[in-house]
Formats: sequence, C-alpha cells, structure tokens
Amino acid sequence: MVTYSLGVDDDAVFRALADPTRRHLLDHLYERDGRTLSELVGEQPEMTRFGVMKHLRVLEGAGLVVTRRSGREKLHFLNPVPVRLIHDRWISKYAERHVSALAELKTELEESA
Amino acid sequence: MNAAITVPSATTQVYQVFIRAMPEQIWEAITNPDFTEKYFHGARNEYTGGRRISKGPDGQLYADEAVLEFDPPRRLVHGWRSLYRPELAAEPTSRVTWEIAPQDGGCCLLTVVHDKLEGSPRTAENVSGEGWMMVLSGLKTLVETGTPMTG
Repeated sequence: MVTYSLGVDDDAVFRALADPTRRHLLDHLYERDGRTLSELVGEQPEMTRFGVMKHLRVLEGAGLVVTRRSGREKLHFLNPVPVRLIHDRWISKYAERHVSALAELKTELEESA
Repeated sequence: MNAAITVPSATTQVYQVFIRAMPEQIWEAITNPDFTEKYFHGARNEYTGGRRISKGPDGQLYADEAVLEFDPPRRLVHGWRSLYRPELAAEPTSRVTWEIAPQDGGCCLLTVVHDKLEGSPRTAENVSGEGWMMVLSGLKTLVETGTPMTG
C-alpha cells in the first residue's frame, strides 16, 4: 500500500488520465467494477500482462483505482472521487466564471437599453 | 464481452478520498446530523440506539437500518435501504462500511465500501457515480474548509 503525505495531487490524476490505455482500463471498470488482473488483461489483448499491471499501478497511485482482496483474488475497483475533485477544482470553477460573465453582460446591456 | 452491460452493475462499490483532517473530525462529520445535512443530499443522519436514522430536509424518513459496527473514530458499518423511492425501498438491505485510516502528515484515507448489492440493482445504480462521489467530495470540502460546497 502506497502512503501519501498529503494525499493524491491533481498532477498524478492528470498524468494518469493522459494515457489512452489507462482511460480504456477505467472505462472497462466503469462497465463492470471489481475485476481481477486477468480479466482486465483479457480486455486489452494487444498488451502484455506486465503492461496492464504497470498501467494499473499508475491508476492506483493516482487513487483512480482501488484494490480489495476477496478471498484469494485481488479485485480492482474504479474510484471516481478524484475525477469529481478535479471537476470541482477546475471545471465548475471556469464554467461558473463563464456563466457570471454572461450574467454581467446581460445586466450591462439591460442597463444601457 | 457482454454488450448488454451499459451501466455500472457491480455488487460492490468502493470509494476513497484523502482528507486533510484528524480521524475524530472525519468521524464527527459522518455521525453528527448537523454536519451530514450540509453534504449528504440535505439528510440528517443519526446513529442512535443501534440504528442509523436518516431524515430528509422536510423530516421525511430516508433510511432506518441497523448499525452493525460502531468503532469511533475508525470504522462504521450499517445497513442501507433507500426509503426515499418505493422501487428502491422494495429491494433487500445492502451494507455500507466506512473506514478511516490515518496517514502520515495529518491526513486520513477515507474508504466507503457499499456491498451486498447482489439483489439490489436499482439501489446500486442510484448510489453509484454521482451519489457517493458527491457525498465524499462534499464531506472532504466541509471538513477541510469548514464550509459546505456550493452549487
């Protein structure tokens, strides 16, 4: 288990999401959650088991994938919370600014009319 | 490949978030209704007499299930049956586990596992994605900044 002094940072999440294979792995987990490494390797036939493991490790490091043991199996779960935090921090912020700019424009136009 | 699967259909859902706070503060935010109403879809969640009672903003009963483990400030396990929609209330009770694990540097890892959803596909869909995600990001914001998330 990796420990972080101050939690996962945005950089790790953006880096993890920057790779198409890793985005595919997240999509596979979105379709069906709680999968073993072998199942995920089966979804990426063009990639070696080691390659998939490497990508999963990056996703885990970014907190986007969480593993839990179930009996003898290690299951991989999609953890969407970091994506939500990125959304709250980056996307809604600029969307709001956009909306308030339009609201200001409306006020200005109406006042000058 | 099963092409019919288009929505999240797992019988276990796992959510994790790092929170810059002490375990006691996080525990308080989970178990004190004055806090939960600020991030849990407006619901006041109370843990009393071995039950978890959840009430909506107008006092309507959202949930009334058994508390299975109550170990402050580390671990909380309770039943889950959503009473706010009849088709969800008709499904069997599932289970929610909260784990608070202190990390180095004054930070905790909060894990929520919602499982035993085998017989409750509608509940599984209802709480997945936006559901738990909103609750956990709202809880993090509230605990770290002292103010609820807007919008």
